[in-house]
Amino acid sequence: MPKNTLSCKEATRLLLEDEDHEIPAADRIALQVHVKICFMCQRFVSQLNLMRRATQAWRKHGESDVDDTP
Amino acid sequence: MSDFATQVEQLRPQLLRFARTQLRNDAWAEDAVSECTLAALERPHAFAGQSQLKTWLVGILKHKVVDQLRRHTREATILVGEDGEDVDEALFAPDGHWREAPGDWGDPDAACNQRQFFEVLEACCEKLPPVQARVFMMREWLEIESDEICRELRITPSNLWVLLHRARLRLRDCLQLRWFDGAAAKA
Repeated sequence: MPKNTLSCKEATRLLLEDEDHEIPAADRIALQVHVKICFMCQRFVSQLNLMRRATQAWRKHGESDVDDTP
Repeated sequence: MSDFATQVEQLRPQLLRFARTQLRNDAWAEDAVSECTLAALERPHAFAGQSQLKTWLVGILKHKVVDQLRRHTREATILVGEDGEDVDEALFAPDGHWREAPGDWGDPDAACNQRQFFEVLEACCEKLPPVQARVFMMREWLEIESDEICRELRITPSNLWVLLHRARLRLRDCLQLRWFDGAAAKA
């Protein structure tokens, strides 16, 4: 593996960090390069997107719809 | 009892459920809900009727939940060590490659439009180790800024990231297992 490429494990860590706070620009670039060529990490990105959307929807659901459940 | 008080009282079970999900402690949840309803009954005129009563109450309840978390901070400080299992270890080979390809979860709408999906999500949150669940809920549900969570729980930012990192990976595993593995069968 070339020296300055990330492993999937490192890419995953950065992706998760990025959910919560901005990661350094250099890391972001390395991450983009990795994700572009790695279909497994692309899947992980989609999973994170789904989880993010789901939590947003869930939050709203918790606030406005709590009584729909019997 | 006034109409207003009756309406507030009727919402109590839902508020309690909300608080329990957040706090995972029945006594704290009871306290948060009592404080919330008390605050509401003390100033019924503050409820302008623009939003649903429930939405207004949940707004108050969020603050009371945060107060509870603040009050019980000390109990939350047994931290990063609580999770004996190394989540990363289970996912990645020693060379940093995925042991198994992450699943294709398909169209996010398909999952997000189903009530049962949220039940599974909630159940998965409940299964998280307590401190991970707490920081995840604080961050994602109560939308508290990271700095504030660190202050409240007296942890460092890197502690927080480790906790959120693990919480999200565990949630992902749980959703895979309890929803997506079976989704083909449901469709």
